Amino acid sequence: MFFKMITASLVRRRSRMLVALLAIAVGATILSGLVTIYIDVPRQMGAEFRNYGANMIFMASSNDAVFDMDTVQTGIDKIEQGKLVGVAPYRYETVRIHEQPVVAAGTDLSQVQTTSPYWMIDGEWPEKDEEMLVGQNIAESLNLHAGDLVNVMGPTEEDSEDQLNFGVDIRVTGIVETGGKEEDYIYMSMADLETLVGEGELDVVELSVSATAEELDRYVKTIESEAEGITPRLVKRVTQSESTVLGKLQALVFLVTAVVLVLTMICVATTMTAVVAERRKEIGLRKALGASDASIMKEFMGEGLLLGGVGGILGSVLGFVFAQFVSVRVFASSIRYQPLLLPVTILVSILITGLACLFPVKNATTVDPALVLKGE
Amino acid sequence: MSLLELRGISKIYGDLKALDNINLSVENGEWTAIMGPSGSGKSTMMNIIGCMDKPTMGEVLLDGVDIAKESAKNLTAIRRDKIGLIFQQFHLVNYLTAVENVMVAQYYHSLPDEKEALEALARVGLADRAKHLPSQLSGGEQQRVCIARALINHPEIILADEPTGNLDEANENIVLDLFRQLHEEHTTLIVVTHDPEVAEVAQRTITLEHGRIKSDEINKMFGRN
Amino acid sequence: MFLRMIRGAFARQWKKMLIIALTIMLGTSLATAMINVMLDVGDKVNQELKTYGANITVLPKSASVMSDLYEVEGSSDDTGSYLLESEIGNIKTIFWAFNIVDFAPFIDTNVTTDGGSETRLVGTWFNHHLDLPTGESLDAGVNSLRSWWDVDNGSWIDEQALEEDERAAMVGAVLAKREGISVGDTIHVKGAEGETELKVQGIFDSGGDEDEQIFAPLDLVQELSGKDGYISSIEVSALTTPDNELAEKAAKDPGSLTIAQYELWYCTAYVSSICYQIQEAITDSVAAPVRQVAESEGAIMDKTELLMVLITILSLIGSALGITNLVTASVMERSNEIGLFKAVGARDGAISGLFLTEILLTGLVGAVAGYFLGFGFAQIIGHTVFSSSIEMKPFVIPIVAILMLAVTLAGSIPAIRMLLRLDPAEVLHGR
Repeated sequence: MFFKMITASLVRRRSRMLVALLAIAVGATILSGLVTIYIDVPRQMGAEFRNYGANMIFMASSNDAVFDMDTVQTGIDKIEQGKLVGVAPYRYETVRIHEQPVVAAGTDLSQVQTTSPYWMIDGEWPEKDEEMLVGQNIAESLNLHAGDLVNVMGPTEEDSEDQLNFGVDIRVTGIVETGGKEEDYIYMSMADLETLVGEGELDVVELSVSATAEELDRYVKTIESEAEGITPRLVKRVTQSESTVLGKLQALVFLVTAVVLVLTMICVATTMTAVVAERRKEIGLRKALGASDASIMKEFMGEGLLLGGVGGILGSVLGFVFAQFVSVRVFASSIRYQPLLLPVTILVSILITGLACLFPVKNATTVDPALVLKGE
Repeated sequence: MSLLELRGISKIYGDLKALDNINLSVENGEWTAIMGPSGSGKSTMMNIIGCMDKPTMGEVLLDGVDIAKESAKNLTAIRRDKIGLIFQQFHLVNYLTAVENVMVAQYYHSLPDEKEALEALARVGLADRAKHLPSQLSGGEQQRVCIARALINHPEIILADEPTGNLDEANENIVLDLFRQLHEEHTTLIVVTHDPEVAEVAQRTITLEHGRIKSDEINKMFGRN
Repeated sequence: MFLRMIRGAFARQWKKMLIIALTIMLGTSLATAMINVMLDVGDKVNQELKTYGANITVLPKSASVMSDLYEVEGSSDDTGSYLLESEIGNIKTIFWAFNIVDFAPFIDTNVTTDGGSETRLVGTWFNHHLDLPTGESLDAGVNSLRSWWDVDNGSWIDEQALEEDERAAMVGAVLAKREGISVGDTIHVKGAEGETELKVQGIFDSGGDEDEQIFAPLDLVQELSGKDGYISSIEVSALTTPDNELAEKAAKDPGSLTIAQYELWYCTAYVSSICYQIQEAITDSVAAPVRQVAESEGAIMDKTELLMVLITILSLIGSALGITNLVTASVMERSNEIGLFKAVGARDGAISGLFLTEILLTGLVGAVAGYFLGFGFAQIIGHTVFSSSIEMKPFVIPIVAILMLAVTLAGSIPAIRMLLRLDPAEVLHGR
């Protein structure tokens, strides 16, 4: 009978119950949506901050240690899969273009696009060997343009007997503009540089790692102690600033979430209060029919909790949809689902609804049934 | 010409004939009681006379105007000008004082006049309760406020629906005395009731059964007690 | 009478009205706080992103080509490759002067230290006090422009606290470690045009090339290198608007714009237009955006703003639904009253008017209270997160007012209309 009464009330008083359900569902949507976003924002924003480029560099720990890609790999292995955005090794050597000395960097240009996404390229990124990028300052002083085929020669006159003397013809695919030192170098593939100046060791490796400040510190410590021949260093300018700004952003989303949540919950509570208060007459009638205060409380609370549960489930789903929408719109990536949030949202919805019903129902049970039924 | 004339009125809800071919005329100044058990069509008839409902068939002539053909908007206007309603449940606005409740009717009719409203209350013996809220009044007092409200715009017909249904004996008598007084002032009264005692004091008693007029009698005892 | 009825409703039904007012207040405060925070978040985040340092560098025209590359062969001596120290203040006179947050001039020279090794000595401002012709004054320099430096040993140099002949310096961590320099030491440096003793006031860890350098006040380095009154570069930190197509087109060649486009571009705080204006203000200079900072700033600001916009929309929808809901419920509750008014002959218009006035009055009270509550919320958010207040834009008030009006009407009108359609007989007989 208890359930029959509750369900009958829910089904037959459709419009009012819809009002209450809607209120709860909206509250739950906001709860689950904002909390999902709040939890996922650091990860998503962290990825955005990788726009600032490399936040960690590897250097040779001493002059006599071998520092090549194999050594670097032992360091990279210490970094969790998925956290690593890009690794760009650099080797700097002096070469000559039009008899002018120029510093050439040998690197992996496809990786540079991930570790230095801020480079402005006038032209195209090189796609294969024998293609290169030229810094804007060099391009200006040597009058180079995207598309030019340039003869690049080895470093010194003494090598003249060497076959390398003739150099290599490399096509300029783009001009690099960064507003920084990069504009004074040319960038070619490691293989091309080796053809020009022979084999050699890396000077520096730039890494872009999507991780928090603490995680980065931990990586630096492990790599320093466990990977031989590598001195890892954090690019302070990037890491320090990132944690400052990211911290502020997270605090912002947190506060906003908190304020919105508190206000929404109060809104839900007032709506429930209004919905219950409206039913004073019904409560009076039930009392007149001989219902005890306790049984009335039980019925109304049961109804409220059922509403809270259904609203919570509805809200969890809608909230996730909203968070997903935000994530796709803002960060162009899908959001990570927080499984724990489903029970929490439902529980909070039930709790709020219960609390919101408790006082008006309790209040209503003190009413004299005779007075209510007389039409007061 | 009669003040109110029902010609061949029927009201049909689906299969149910709430009213079935009713013919009735009420003269000016007449005090009529409409009796009948639950479901006999009393309320339906009262709603139709009170311009709150329309018959499925037939004509309702009030002052010679067929209200069955009027629009909802005009019905509101007719109700406002010609009919005063008294309810079993009183239906007072619970956040307005007694005198303000009377003034509501004035306000929607023409212009509120507190003095006139107070006079109306004095007439029902409530001059000293004018500033009380409905919740501070007894049932009988509330009903008298309701009567004062019905009277305030000098309607042609006072239509009362079980006016004593929620009242005790003493208050019932007060209300009936008021009716008597109104009758003496030539107000047309139509009282819907299932209480024979209330019907007895009227000039004419119409008994309904299954949507038809079962009897229509002039009360011989009228005016003697 | 109308007023009397409304007064009656308020005086004797204040509990119900209070709930409505409360809900509208909460909704309004939410809308006010969120819209204001949303509108200000760009500026705030922009300000925070200044920790990434300068986003514009200003170089002399002739030196901007291949300067870094040839410095191995010794700095060139002709004065044409330097900027004038006296012109630095001009940066604060450009159209977007207000957006210039910080800047510092630099000049460097190679010096020989006690250990006999050659080191780069950089002259700059630390917290240089500048009185501008506009009457403003500000402190500019690396103390704020290099916010990511760790100065664990010693302290930043405070230019105002330096004695007349005190010669202070800050030393990079790597250099200090190699040469065994610690805070309080005096180091002897020999430059091209003289030599001097420097007192080490702080050792910094920058996590970059600067760890191998010594930083000292500008005039001292000018003296050592014989370049009095000259500087070799300026780093500028400016608040900028994220680039769009127009800005990109203008950056390539401002001459390619139409007059209208040019004006729009010039009067928008794009990094390219600020660079352009700096070039106008400083003789023979080339100002270029530091892409690493400028580009990333744009991306992060765009994302943050979009994020806030979406959160704001969600919370607005939430509070709108909440208010609509409650107002509808509160009107439905009064079906009896409406039936009664109809029975005593009230026209539909009169009833709607009465109810709407009541609700709107309640709403007005709630909204005014809500605005101030929202003001409080916005300031709490501003101070907790950004340690500065959120600017309350006046045009938010009409926006919020219209929003609340629409929401309240949307909640009440359908309900009133629905109740008006009911037969009074039906309502009054409780069927």
